[in-house]
Amino acid sequence: MLDLIQPQLPAITLAVLLFAASAAFLVRFERARAIALVAAGVQVVLVSWITWIVVGQDRVWVYTIGGWGAPLGIDLTIDGVSAVMMLLTAVVGCVVTVYSAGYFPPKDSYRLFWSLWLFLWAALFALFASNDIFNLYVCLELLTISAVGLVAISGERAALFAGMRYILSALAGSLIYLFGVALVYASTGVLDFDLLATQVSIDPTTQAGLALMVIGLLLKTALFPMHFWLPPAHANAVAPVSAVLSALVVKGSFYIIFKLMHVFTGHEMIPGLAELMGILGVCAIIWGSVQAFTQKRLKMMVAYSTVAQIGYLFLLFPLVAAADDIQTAVLAASAGLFHAVSHGLAKGAMFLTAGTIVKAVGSDRLEDMAGLSRLAPIPAFTFAIAGVSMVGLPPSGGFVSKWLYVSSAIETGAWWWAGAVVVGGLLAALYIFKVIALFMGSGKEPLQVGVSNRVITIAPLVLALMSLVIGVFGQPILDLLYPAVESLTAGMMR
Amino acid sequence: MPNNIERPRRAQHIVAVGLLVAVFVLLARAVLYIPMHDTGVASSIQDNLQISGVLNPVTAVLLNFRGYDTLLEIAVLVLAIIGVLSLQREGMLASGRLAPFADPALSLLTRILVPMMILIAGYLLWAGEKAPGGAFQAGSILGAAGVLVTLSGHVRPGWLSPAIVKIIIAVGFVVFLVAAIIPMFFDKNLLEYPLHLAKPLIILIETWLTFSIGMILVTMFISSAAPITDDYVRGDAT
Repeated sequence: MLDLIQPQLPAITLAVLLFAASAAFLVRFERARAIALVAAGVQVVLVSWITWIVVGQDRVWVYTIGGWGAPLGIDLTIDGVSAVMMLLTAVVGCVVTVYSAGYFPPKDSYRLFWSLWLFLWAALFALFASNDIFNLYVCLELLTISAVGLVAISGERAALFAGMRYILSALAGSLIYLFGVALVYASTGVLDFDLLATQVSIDPTTQAGLALMVIGLLLKTALFPMHFWLPPAHANAVAPVSAVLSALVVKGSFYIIFKLMHVFTGHEMIPGLAELMGILGVCAIIWGSVQAFTQKRLKMMVAYSTVAQIGYLFLLFPLVAAADDIQTAVLAASAGLFHAVSHGLAKGAMFLTAGTIVKAVGSDRLEDMAGLSRLAPIPAFTFAIAGVSMVGLPPSGGFVSKWLYVSSAIETGAWWWAGAVVVGGLLAALYIFKVIALFMGSGKEPLQVGVSNRVITIAPLVLALMSLVIGVFGQPILDLLYPAVESLTAGMMR
Repeated sequence: MPNNIERPRRAQHIVAVGLLVAVFVLLARAVLYIPMHDTGVASSIQDNLQISGVLNPVTAVLLNFRGYDTLLEIAVLVLAIIGVLSLQREGMLASGRLAPFADPALSLLTRILVPMMILIAGYLLWAGEKAPGGAFQAGSILGAAGVLVTLSGHVRPGWLSPAIVKIIIAVGFVVFLVAAIIPMFFDKNLLEYPLHLAKPLIILIETWLTFSIGMILVTMFISSAAPITDDYVRGDAT
C-alpha cells in the first residue's frame, strides 16, 4: 500500500488541499473548519514524508504529470530547497489553521475564509513544487486571487481599500512576469527550468524576458520601493491572514526569483541585477525599520517590519554573485533561504499574537497596550520571543541567518553587506524593544483585558518557540538545503 | 481615498515619457531578436496529437499535455467567484434578481435568443475536439445567455437554490480533479489518461466545465450588481 502511495505523494498532497478547498466552499462554517483542521494535519504528515524521501534519496524528485515529460508536459520537481519551503508552509499553515479555529466567531459570514485559505495553501504547495515558468504564473495567479480574497474578507472599509490596492499591484506584477515568460519562450522554446538551464543564451530577448520576470516578481515580493501595497494589506487583514501573507506568500515570489537567478545565471545575464537587488534590499531594511519605529498601530509596525525583513532575503544575490568558490556561494544562498524560514516562523508568530493582543485590548493603537505584560503575559512573552528572532539575537533563527550572511560577506571580501546586516539588526532592536518596553511599562489607565481563549494565546507561542528552536537545532535545515543549493549554484558558477 | 491629488508637473511628464520610450526601445529590441526559426514545441505537439485523445492541438494542450495548468486555472476561476461571494451580503445569492427592465421587446428577444445560445454552446463544446472551440467558449456563451435571462427579469426557477448554484460552480473543477487522480489508482501519474479513455474523459471534463464556467460568469454578474455600501460593515473580528 505504501509502495503505491509513495511515488504519487506530490500529487496526493496537492489533491488533498484542492479537494478540501472545494468541499469547504460548499458547507457551513463548522464543517468547513473541521475540513481545514483535518487537511492541515494531513499536510504536515504528507510533507514530512516527502521531505524524508528527498533527504533519503539525496537527489531531486521529478514527478511527471500526465506522463509526457518536459518540454511537452509539465514536471514537478522537489529538491531540498522546495522541501524546506513546503515544510515551512505546512508548519505555519497548521498553526494558522488551529489559531483561526479559535479566532473566528462561528458565523457564516466567515464561512468562505476556510475555502480561500485552503486554496492559498494549495497554491503555495504547487508553487514550491513547480519547475515550469508558465505553470509558476498559474500558481502565482492562484496565490494572488486567494490572498486578495482573504485580505478583503472582513468586509471593513480599510481592508477593502487595501485589498483593491493589493490586487492592482499584484496583477500588474503577474502580467509583467507573464510578458517575460512569453519572451523567454520565444527565444528558447522551452518553459522547464532544467531545459532552460541548458538552452539559455545571452541575447536581448532572453535578457528582456528575465528582466521582466524579475521586475514582476519584485513587485509581488514587495521589495523597496515596490512595497507600497504591503503595509496596508498586511495590517488591515484579519490576524491569521496577515500572518500567512507575511510569513509565506511573499516568500513564494522570492523563491521564484531565487530559482530564476540561478537557472539564468542572472548576474551574468544582466550585469548589475544582483547588486541592484542587494542595494534595494539594504534600502528596504533601513526604510522599513524607520517606518516601523514611527508607527502608532501595532499591526502597521509589524507590517513595516516585514518590509525590512524582506530586504535581508535579497542580500543573498550580490553575495552569491561576488563569491569566488562554490562553498562561499552556497553559504550566502543558505543564509538567505534560512532567513526565509526563520522570518516565516517569527513573523507568523508575531502577527498571530498581535491579533490576540488586539482582540484582548480591543484596539490596534500601541498607546492602548501599555502595561500589557502583567495582564496578558503570554501574548507579550510571545511577541518578545518573536522579536528576538527579528532582531537576530542568539539563540534564534534570525541570529543563524545573520551569522551566515556576515560570514559569507567576510569570505567574499564584500564586507559592506555585513555592515548592512548589523545595522539592520540594531534598527530592528529599536522598534522591537520600544514595543516590549511599552508592554512592560504601566498605562495611563488600568488596562481592560479580556483574553479570549487559550487557542489563540498558545498557538502563536508554539510558532515563536519554533523560531528559537531552529536557532539551536538549525543544522538539519541547512543539511537539507545544502545539496540543492550546491547543485543550483554549481550551474551558476560554471 | 485622497481627493486632493496634485496635478503632475511638466517635469514629471517628461520623466514619465522618457521612461516609457526607454522601455519601448528595449522591448522592441528584444522582440526584433526573437529567432526566426521555430523553437517551440509545436512539432512535438503534432507528433503526439494522435495519442492525446483529441484532434484539435489547442484542446490537446489545454486538456492533456498541459492539463495541469488548466486544472489550476479552473481553480483560479472558482476562487474568483468565491472572493466575490465572500464580499456579498448573506442572501444576495438567494435573491439573485435585478430590477427587471419591463421591456416586452427584450423579453421576446430573450425567448428567441436563449435557446439558440444554448444550442451554439453545445456545438462549440462538441467542436472543440477537432476545431477551435471547447469549454471556455461554450461556457462564455452559456454565461451570456444567463445574463440575458437575468436582465430581462425572468424569475429564476425554484430548483436553482443557492446551494445548487454553489454546486454547479464547483462541479467542473471537482470532476476535473477526480478525472486527474483516477489514473493514480492504476499506477499511473496525475492526469496520465490511458489512451482509450483519453477522449471520453476529456469530453466529460469539458462538459462539466462548460456548466461551471457559465454559472460562474452569471453569478459574478449578479453579484457585482449590488456594490457594498458604506453602512454595510461585516462582523467584528478585529
